[in-house]
Amino acid sequence: MFVLAMRSIRQRPGRFLATLLSAFLGAAIIMTFHSMHDTAGQPGVDSVSAGTLGTAAGVVGGYGTLLVFFAVASTLTVNVRQRAAELELLRCSGATPAQLKRMVVGEAAVVALVGAGLAILPAMLGGRLLLEVFQDSGQVARSVEHSFGTIALTSGIGITLLAAAGAAFLALRRAARGHQRRGRARVFLPYAALVAGALAVCSTFAFSATDSALMAPPAYGSILLSVGCALMAPRLLRGVLDRLTPGGASGWLAVRNLRQRSGQLAGILMSLILFTAVSTATLTMQAVESEAVEASGLVKSVDAKNLETLNFTVVGIIVVFVCVMLVNSLYAATTYRGREFGQQRLAGATPGQVLGVVGAEGLVLTVTGVLFGTLAALAGIVPFTVVRGDKVLPGQMAGVWAAVASIGAAATLGTGLATARRVLRTPAVRAVASTA
Amino acid sequence: MVRSGARHDHDTGPAPEALRLVKVTKSYGTGDSAVTALDGVTLGLARGTFTAVMGPSGSGKSTLLQCAAGLDRPDSGIVQVDGTELTGGSEAELTKFRRGRIGFVFQQYNLLETLTVAQNTVLPLKLAGKRVDRRRAREILTAVGLGDRLGHRPDQLSGGHRQRVAIARALVTEPRVIFADEPTGALDTRSAREVLTLLRQAVRVHGRTVVMVTHDPVAASYADSVLFLADGRLAGRLPAPTAEAVAERLAHLGDDVMTGV
Repeated sequence: MFVLAMRSIRQRPGRFLATLLSAFLGAAIIMTFHSMHDTAGQPGVDSVSAGTLGTAAGVVGGYGTLLVFFAVASTLTVNVRQRAAELELLRCSGATPAQLKRMVVGEAAVVALVGAGLAILPAMLGGRLLLEVFQDSGQVARSVEHSFGTIALTSGIGITLLAAAGAAFLALRRAARGHQRRGRARVFLPYAALVAGALAVCSTFAFSATDSALMAPPAYGSILLSVGCALMAPRLLRGVLDRLTPGGASGWLAVRNLRQRSGQLAGILMSLILFTAVSTATLTMQAVESEAVEASGLVKSVDAKNLETLNFTVVGIIVVFVCVMLVNSLYAATTYRGREFGQQRLAGATPGQVLGVVGAEGLVLTVTGVLFGTLAALAGIVPFTVVRGDKVLPGQMAGVWAAVASIGAAATLGTGLATARRVLRTPAVRAVASTA
Repeated sequence: MVRSGARHDHDTGPAPEALRLVKVTKSYGTGDSAVTALDGVTLGLARGTFTAVMGPSGSGKSTLLQCAAGLDRPDSGIVQVDGTELTGGSEAELTKFRRGRIGFVFQQYNLLETLTVAQNTVLPLKLAGKRVDRRRAREILTAVGLGDRLGHRPDQLSGGHRQRVAIARALVTEPRVIFADEPTGALDTRSAREVLTLLRQAVRVHGRTVVMVTHDPVAASYADSVLFLADGRLAGRLPAPTAEAVAERLAHLGDDVMTGV
């Protein structure tokens, strides 16, 4: 089975590109930040520097692990689903479920190892740069030398490997179980997230303007609210669709497609909501905070600077990963639809009309995702600015929001349309015939 | 007088032939692996006829249908639908040519899963930007026996019923020619019979021209005539076919070609 795994990777390297990219990015981030543990562990590093390095490594390393897991799981789920026919063929040829599991997990492990291996060099450079950033801002003493040692290497490779193998295992199990009704936890969870988020946001008012922890409750509140919205994505999407009655054949088809596929599209919408909420909320609050500190004429403490660096890094990581997940799942979802596009074309749709359908769907998804993401972000930003400054809506938000929304729109529409264009190159008759 | 005048009009109208192919050639692949799927096929089908196209696998049946229906461009030769020549351009141009001229019924139905029966039926009109006459659509669906299933989705229907939706969809745009590619290939014998009867009705009642590619001599026996195809060339025509005669002819199709050469 392992031989088969290796062969399928060698024959179809393109399929594993998304997984490889996730593993590579994840390993690079984990190693970069965990090399701070190595650096802090060297003899002669003062306690303030060690503290900064430790926090950065701990927080971002933890985030990184989670994100690698989700990103690899998402790309592998897509991968396993795409290969349903191949796996079925193997099953018919006498492969036991355990053998199939070994094959898929083996493939994932190999891809993760390659990704982690490729990530070592960039992570060494990244770690050096990161240390310089800390030193330039005065958070870490100049005398500290960067070290890329055992912790970075073992944790980077180990976590990536474990996350990939675990994700492959889950993806296979999910594919085998097929469509399942949502359990009670899935129904209850979004409400729990929304309530917790609302409480966190409200608790902002219990802090005073200069509390150093002021940013935490609204930031976490925003994230929780966006998680709640993300979990309810299919229902939100249906709610938006009920209010839409577009003219034109493309719009008409798009709305009907989305309504039927709202369940499958939830993943894409989820990524969009989280992406918009987390980046808008964090970046806006950080901008407000920095400006407030500057206005008061105080010098930022090391803690405040740490927080700022962490905020930017975490947002950066989330943005990159969510983009990878979004692009990958949208690419896969659109590639799948070759047959459907063929059917539309045979029913009399021009390629332009098919692209119109895809574009209209992308537009509805983007608007819905950005709308609810923005609402979740606002729920955190408004209390924060009310307490921190005396304004309700900070001026910094407009720029941040515009940038975030345009990145989200570009990723969603760009991926959908570019993939659809490629899919449309197959003649309609052949696209319809290739039912595996 | 009136009657003969009407007949006169009909006979010498702009396009007495619904479909005309002249020396149509099509090959796939290049170099040594090139396969000639159609080798100079010339044929004409009169309006209001039901023609079956038969031949062994690889005889070029599907290619013939695709070239004639404007789904694929022939390498050389002329394809005319209702007197208008199909001039190959972009896919969008071919699509616009097909709209209103050509309807399809496929073995795999090719209905859109996300649309209901009624929505699938009016989809070609929507895409062509034409006014959607819902009453007419309902009439057609009732005529094919689906009047009580307008709100169902394709996955809630049996194969036979799905194929009826496909026929209704092909009829709704009032095309000159309906191409059917193995329309009964995935159906049980009873559903197949019903579908074939509906296709025959499309010719008799609605005055359409139907071209059907099939493997099945029984299906072919529903047509007015059968065209045989072997190695990309026409290998005979059988008017008023019976299943037995078609099967007999098919069994000796190879011999015919050999003696022909």
